[in-house]
Amino acid sequence: MPSVSEPASVREAAAALREAAASRHCVSINRGGGDVCLSTRRLDRIVEHEAGDLTATVEAGIRLSALAAELAPHRQMLALDPPGDPTVGACVAANLSGPRRHRYGTARDLVLGVTVVLADGTVVSSGGKVVKNVAGYDLGKLLCGSLGKLGLIARVSLRLHPRPPAARTLVVPVESASGAQHAAAAVHRSTLVPSAVDLLWPGGLALLLEGSERAAAAELMRAEELLGGAEDGEIWRAVAERQLASKGRTSFPPGKLEAVLEAHPQALVRVGAGVAYLPGPAPDPRPEAVRRLAERIRSEFDPTSVLV
Amino acid sequence: MALPAEFLARIETALPAGAIVREPEQLKTYECDGLTGHRTLPALVVLPSSTTEVQAVVRACHAAGIPFVARGAGTGLSGGALPVADGIVISLARMDRILELDLDSGRAVVEPGVTNLAVSAAVLGDGFYYAPDPSSQQVCTIGGNVAENSGGAHCLKYGFTVNHVTALEVVLPDGELVELGGEGLDQPGPDLLGAFVGSEGTLGIATRITLRLLRRPEAVRTLLAGFPSTDAAGAAVSGIVAAGILPAAVEMMDRLTIEAAEAAVHPGYPDAGAVLIVELDGATAQVEEDLESVLELCRDAGAEEIRVAADDAERALLWKGRKAAFAAMGRVAANYYVQDGVVPRTKLPAVLRRISELEGEFGLRVGNVFHAGDGNLHPLVLYDERNAGEAERAQLLAERILEACVDAGGSITGEHGVGSDKACSMPLLFGPDDLEAMQRLRRAFDPDGLANPGKIFPTPRLCGEVPGPYRAHPLERAGLAERF
Repeated sequence: MPSVSEPASVREAAAALREAAASRHCVSINRGGGDVCLSTRRLDRIVEHEAGDLTATVEAGIRLSALAAELAPHRQMLALDPPGDPTVGACVAANLSGPRRHRYGTARDLVLGVTVVLADGTVVSSGGKVVKNVAGYDLGKLLCGSLGKLGLIARVSLRLHPRPPAARTLVVPVESASGAQHAAAAVHRSTLVPSAVDLLWPGGLALLLEGSERAAAAELMRAEELLGGAEDGEIWRAVAERQLASKGRTSFPPGKLEAVLEAHPQALVRVGAGVAYLPGPAPDPRPEAVRRLAERIRSEFDPTSVLV
Repeated sequence: MALPAEFLARIETALPAGAIVREPEQLKTYECDGLTGHRTLPALVVLPSSTTEVQAVVRACHAAGIPFVARGAGTGLSGGALPVADGIVISLARMDRILELDLDSGRAVVEPGVTNLAVSAAVLGDGFYYAPDPSSQQVCTIGGNVAENSGGAHCLKYGFTVNHVTALEVVLPDGELVELGGEGLDQPGPDLLGAFVGSEGTLGIATRITLRLLRRPEAVRTLLAGFPSTDAAGAAVSGIVAAGILPAAVEMMDRLTIEAAEAAVHPGYPDAGAVLIVELDGATAQVEEDLESVLELCRDAGAEEIRVAADDAERALLWKGRKAAFAAMGRVAANYYVQDGVVPRTKLPAVLRRISELEGEFGLRVGNVFHAGDGNLHPLVLYDERNAGEAERAQLLAERILEACVDAGGSITGEHGVGSDKACSMPLLFGPDDLEAMQRLRRAFDPDGLANPGKIFPTPRLCGEVPGPYRAHPLERAGLAERF
């Protein structure tokens, strides 16, 4: 049975990894496997929230709901909304995102800086806590999607956004793949500024329209004139459930939506981003040369393969 | 030292004669970029026209151990394209084709030598544009933008180059070709694309770049407000942020830069201690509502004069003074040095006061023009090189400003890059372990260190045996990170 380690500080996390590396133990982060399971459960503090700068620094084990509760009174938010209330660290390591990525992007677009414990216990920082910064390599971006193989993400500095006071949802029924493509193209070519454009396939296209009360209502009206449909805020529950249940993700140029729908009888599609969540697993589309490069990076960061 | 004959033979086989520059007089064109104080004559310059040619050149460099420096338009301000003596420069200027426009997907595929503005120009008629807009956008190239992760006035709302690149074809430093990113977003594995953008030419050469195009907004409103002081203008910016408004751009200029801009391009700015330019864009209903709020917040903060542009021509005039600010400094000073520092936005007033103290200490004037929304300062240190020692004093003053930025929790560069200019300032921000972690990434891409060596990382040769004083990473100093 692997032992479980739950460090409560970056220092403890570094000690745990240093020790594991010294005793040639394999370590997994926040999942099973290896000789030691390292959990970030107790690394869950908000270290700093500078409301005036729209930035926050948090420990990676904090759940999105806990961070949202801190930010809400300031009418601010971290614009990452994957379902299932994951931790900030998981959003980075597994590149998790939700409907609002349409407007705000994913973890790579919101992470300003990181503090990482490398496999040998070395603690390193990259980036910073300011929203604009090009000093040195951006290891925060490299860690997005790294699945715990490059190090333990201990702290993350994040860009925040003002939370729009009002949200309205338009749902447009779509009957066919070509109908879906047509509706998505109409949105893409319009000057609407939706926060999310999700297609529950088969079923309906959902537009999230946010802003002031007046502006959100005006956007809803414009969207309705363009697409028809009806207001239905309940659809986001179904969207979240579909995404949570999915086992694979595939991505495509947004103009090729129709072909993707024809290939997949059931999917949740972020049509603006060109990302589809599928009921079954999806193959890794990366060419061999890219996988080799990723492996070279992994072995530079963890030459003795401590992290599994 | 001359280049090895075998290497030259390979280059001559790979490229037509007209794509090889070797006359010393012609090589001089490439000896520096926009940071003209740093100059090195390269041994050779090549101008490939295709990915295949770039690959052939890089393979030859790899085989012979010759360092290479990729170059776009040479407008960079940090010496990122500074050649290496005994090395070659690979100019991407001839790879200037827009390869593909896919408006249905909101994508443009371009070669690295395409200028920034050419991308927007190609799709404007269809109602789209490319968002990052560095001030040099008429001449700077997309390849250079990728290397530097260029920003611009509108990155407060729309982000930087890295947020708008979806795929890159890259020639690695051993000549291998890889595709980072891909047809779709969210590729599995670490975000190599994100790590490559902004790596200043040290990880390879991007030869084919896929960009995200955005729909032009329904409404754009631009206003200019004159304030008695930078403090008052800063208070207005704080008010705008606190109100939950995210403008497309918030720019500030102080009295000295206003006067210089007025003398140079006559934008009709008010006689004020500071001006703010605020641009709002998006859906009409939201923009009009935000405009009312911003006007009120500016008045509350003591704005003495406010102008809202009535049309595109008036908007262009409001921006004209801001965009000409750097060049306008030539009107009020013989020479100037452009600094590029970042502070948390709320620390702007304190850092501006510190800059004002430094002016007194050094007996030099500093003009301030900056992206107030994201805390990116561009202090312009004025000097006259004809006065003995003044250039050195200006350089020292500019370094002191950087230290003030770092002390306030900021960064040594917001958009101009580290290059050769600030490599020795990296220890202000990063400790040896941080830099070593970055080197791990470097080694995975470029184990021989042939791609743009001498940039970003401080070395004893560059900085002397003792690297600059290490002053704890901002995260660490704020008690946010520990070091062992």
